[in-house]
Amino acid sequence: MSKSAEELYEALADAVVDMDEDLVADLAKEAVAAGVDALAAIDQGLARGMERAGKLFEEEEYFVPELLMCSDAVNTGIDILKPHIKMDAAAEKHKVVVGVIEGDTHDIGKNLVKVMLNSANFDVIDAGRDVPPAVFVDTAIQEGASVIMIAALMTTTMDKIGDTIQLIKERGLAGKLRVVIGGAPISPAFAKKVEADAYSVNANAAVRIAREMLSC
Amino acid sequence: MDVLSPKERLLRSLKKEKVDRHPIICPGGMMNAALVEIMQKTGHTLPEAHHVDSLMRELAFDVQANTGFENFGIPFCMTIEAEALGSPIDFGTLACEPKIKQEAYSSVKEVRFLPRGSMEKSSRVAAVVQSLHYLSEKYPDVPAIGSLTGPLSTAASIVDPMTFLKQLRREKEMAHKVLTYVCEQLIDYAQLMVDNGAAVISIADPTATGEILGPKMFQEYAVPYLNMIADAIHAMGVPVIIHICGEMAMVKPQIASLHGDAISVDAFVNLKQMKDEYHSLTTMGNLSTYLLEFSDPEVIYQQAKGLLKNNIDIIAPACGLSTSTKLANIHAFTTAIKEG
Repeated sequence: MSKSAEELYEALADAVVDMDEDLVADLAKEAVAAGVDALAAIDQGLARGMERAGKLFEEEEYFVPELLMCSDAVNTGIDILKPHIKMDAAAEKHKVVVGVIEGDTHDIGKNLVKVMLNSANFDVIDAGRDVPPAVFVDTAIQEGASVIMIAALMTTTMDKIGDTIQLIKERGLAGKLRVVIGGAPISPAFAKKVEADAYSVNANAAVRIAREMLSC
Repeated sequence: MDVLSPKERLLRSLKKEKVDRHPIICPGGMMNAALVEIMQKTGHTLPEAHHVDSLMRELAFDVQANTGFENFGIPFCMTIEAEALGSPIDFGTLACEPKIKQEAYSSVKEVRFLPRGSMEKSSRVAAVVQSLHYLSEKYPDVPAIGSLTGPLSTAASIVDPMTFLKQLRREKEMAHKVLTYVCEQLIDYAQLMVDNGAAVISIADPTATGEILGPKMFQEYAVPYLNMIADAIHAMGVPVIIHICGEMAMVKPQIASLHGDAISVDAFVNLKQMKDEYHSLTTMGNLSTYLLEFSDPEVIYQQAKGLLKNNIDIIAPACGLSTSTKLANIHAFTTAIKEG
């Protein structure tokens, strides 16, 4: 007996949590063959599975390797489902710029945020590591993104985050371009001090914050 | 008054023998104190000093002389090993540390295993080794510490780190092979450092944290390879410091099974509590590098006294120092410890 759409979404989500890329591929193909709404399969299947994986990460059941494998499974599924999204249903994805601040070359945290946002179906612009404040702002403007997520892993580089926020103000973009910051040395108190719009404690929280900011 | 030389003090501390007072060190590598303020004063600057042995040793000397840290710490980055094993490096600037430009391999399955003895062919390994030799001969009372990038961090610097982390689960056999290979090369490099006067080897492995790996993988991948290197260095007759980054509540039991002569930890780890829990542990750390950068001398002085009160065996910064840290702050730190 073939599965209902809901059963397929659930199975996709489970396969993502189980890091089972092959099963995700099979289920995605099954969904396509059954004519299930591809966008719903992504949102209610893959993305929901990633949400659960993110929760396991916060609960310290999953760690970075597990989270990356779940994300690979999501991407495999998206690759199969994407060509079948009905064009009128495919609303513009929300753009978020992520990067590691200038002077800092540790990008594992940034990459995790990128992975989580991608899996949550955001359009992620990766500015890379060692990114100067002006490049963050310019990239966001060029790409039409309204959220910048900045990671710092070293205390060295934290003041550059403040510089980025200042630059946004100087260019009259305060309120239009919002900044989320995170990383080992960053604290909520520091975020407040440099007047960041939000502090993200981990990669999963970053997705929640992006959703709230972009109300999606 | 100091009775012991800095070298005696550090070596005795690592053997858990009695000392006149606590040593204060900054081991180099990830945790180096090549501050912009020092380099501007002396003119021995990075990134040039990452390459030229005469500059490298001068800078290591400047750091020791200007900060009050009681050791020479070499090198000033974590890229020597990965470069020797094939990854191209971006050497950064005066104020910004070098980084891997691009990992040499995209998967553990692609790694080309270089023969033993490959490390000594690297010109930067040569610069490190010659610097250690020069400083240890000229200043025999000051311990020259050779800083080594740990096995997981080195492996994740030659193989794309995101793929590498996944392959720790997906390609276990190959991941173990690559780590064994990396360890053999690191042991060769440590041997060169020891043969040329390194009094202590300090291993920092920021990829090998409980936060990134979780307890199971830390046990499977971090502990055995760190211990393989530590055991080999012990066989050379030299003590080993192991620095573990990040929060470690999750991997505390594993920490006690590491073969380091001292365990160095990040700022938010409660070293006093760890010391109480694991009596055999020689603790090292852990003054916040955030405080060192953003706080003032009085606060730092008080915090340093707190480390003494908690009887932390070897006093050191908790993590990598910001290159813009003010010398006055470092002085407050080293002075507080040396007064006893």
